[in-house]
Amino acid sequence: MLDLLPQWMRDGIGDDVAFWIGYFTNGKHLAWYASVQFTLFAGLFGACVALALGLLAAAARNGGPWPVRFVAAGYINIVRGVPDVLFFLFFPLAFEQAVEWLWATQVCTPESIAANPNPWPPCIEANWRLSTVEYLIMASVSLGIVYGAFTANVISGALLAVPRGQLEAARAFGMSRMQVLWRVHVRQMWIYALPGLSNVWMLLVKATALLSLLQILDFVTLAQRLGAANYSAIAGLVHEDWRWRYYLVLLIFYILVTFVSEKAFAALNRRVRRGMPILDGNAA
Amino acid sequence: MSFIAVILNEIQLLARPALLNIYFAAAAIPVGFVLAIFLALGKASHNRLITALSRGYIYFFRGSPFFIQLFAFYSFVLTLNMSVWRPLGIDWLILHPLFLGPAILTLNTTAYTAEILYGALATVPRGEVEAARAFGMTQAQRFRSIVWPHVIRIAWPAYTNEVVFLFHATALIYFTLPVIGGQQDLMNKAGELFERDYNVFLHYSVAALYFLAISLVIFYAFGLVYRHLMRHMPQAAPAKFSMRRFMT
Repeated sequence: MLDLLPQWMRDGIGDDVAFWIGYFTNGKHLAWYASVQFTLFAGLFGACVALALGLLAAAARNGGPWPVRFVAAGYINIVRGVPDVLFFLFFPLAFEQAVEWLWATQVCTPESIAANPNPWPPCIEANWRLSTVEYLIMASVSLGIVYGAFTANVISGALLAVPRGQLEAARAFGMSRMQVLWRVHVRQMWIYALPGLSNVWMLLVKATALLSLLQILDFVTLAQRLGAANYSAIAGLVHEDWRWRYYLVLLIFYILVTFVSEKAFAALNRRVRRGMPILDGNAA
Repeated sequence: MSFIAVILNEIQLLARPALLNIYFAAAAIPVGFVLAIFLALGKASHNRLITALSRGYIYFFRGSPFFIQLFAFYSFVLTLNMSVWRPLGIDWLILHPLFLGPAILTLNTTAYTAEILYGALATVPRGEVEAARAFGMTQAQRFRSIVWPHVIRIAWPAYTNEVVFLFHATALIYFTLPVIGGQQDLMNKAGELFERDYNVFLHYSVAALYFLAISLVIFYAFGLVYRHLMRHMPQAAPAKFSMRRFMT
């Protein structure tokens, strides 16, 4: 990185500054900066899954036939009653095992099952080794499932907050039930849902810190590696335990994300409320 | 072993680890609650410096993940080990997860609870406080008999949710802190059992059941307290599990 600077700038900065610029732009640090992409991807993709699931579950809970309603309510309440980290670990493992089990019914022979000393998978051929990308998608989906339950709770409250007269008017115009739901109900619901959705987004962003638990080389893992006391045979002790400084950088990163999200949601909230006479409809 | 017997055995295996989660929450909640009262008053104070400091503290802890707070504070405490804790002879206490876990949890819950209480403080009717002042009550008297009863009634449902979230956050502690002498919590024990036989459905489901059951107990107990707080009201709505954690 230092080579990119023109000569006069390299002369202008002292040796100390040049050293630190070199340190913070070495390969390991660049890899650390690049690993933000995993976190951002998990956050954004997870939010999309959460929103889709939330809409689905909220609509199902508020107006489906009773078995659908029962399943939706069960999903919403059980997932919210369990720590996010538990479900975050459980879902990918369970999904992987389910796929392996299905696969095993096809490829395993009695001999290969007998030859396999491990408790799982049933035979070696049925083993599914996940790549980083697959783990990342799995992690995002499980974030989406967890926070989909929270989203559903917010949205189902917001759906109830839409004035009934609006829906009755739409019905009187001859719209079908699905048309009322999609053209009138869902579109008016956002105003009431937005404050709650912003809270769920903040929770989801903070849960992206858990990616390292699924063996994804995210910036938490890399911060740990970079910060750990660094000895080498040639250079001796390069630096002692600096982990807390690296974690502090991560904390500041998350605080910045929170700050930007707050501003963005406030702007969005102002925008969707243009021309709306309601004062503050918090649906949460 | 029959299906029921397997489940019962699992429930038995995870009973002691569940106690550890309960310990973490129970140790952090009272301390965090008392500190939060001061922090909320600090955020509402007229002193600019105190307001800014309280605001900054609350924003820092609410804006960042507890998981990384754990990492950061644990590694920070570790770097001070040789220079501070060891010479003082308190390293065995400070570095013990049964102390450090609740300590970091307290730092976190103080911020969330303070934000809830601060939101409730803003709803105290000015007229009531002014009337109390006109009666010649001192500031301490006003707080105790006018402000606080109002604040706690408004804040209680949100605080209930915060306590449940705090209890859920205890699941993260042993991903960071070392396990000493077989003191495992639910997540740790479930993970260990999983690595033995790869039965993800049994171990994690029973751990989830524990969390669910204890959450329900918290809701029930806090709901009783809420009923008591609102006993003067004719039909108080029961506390519901809702996303109030960020909404004050």
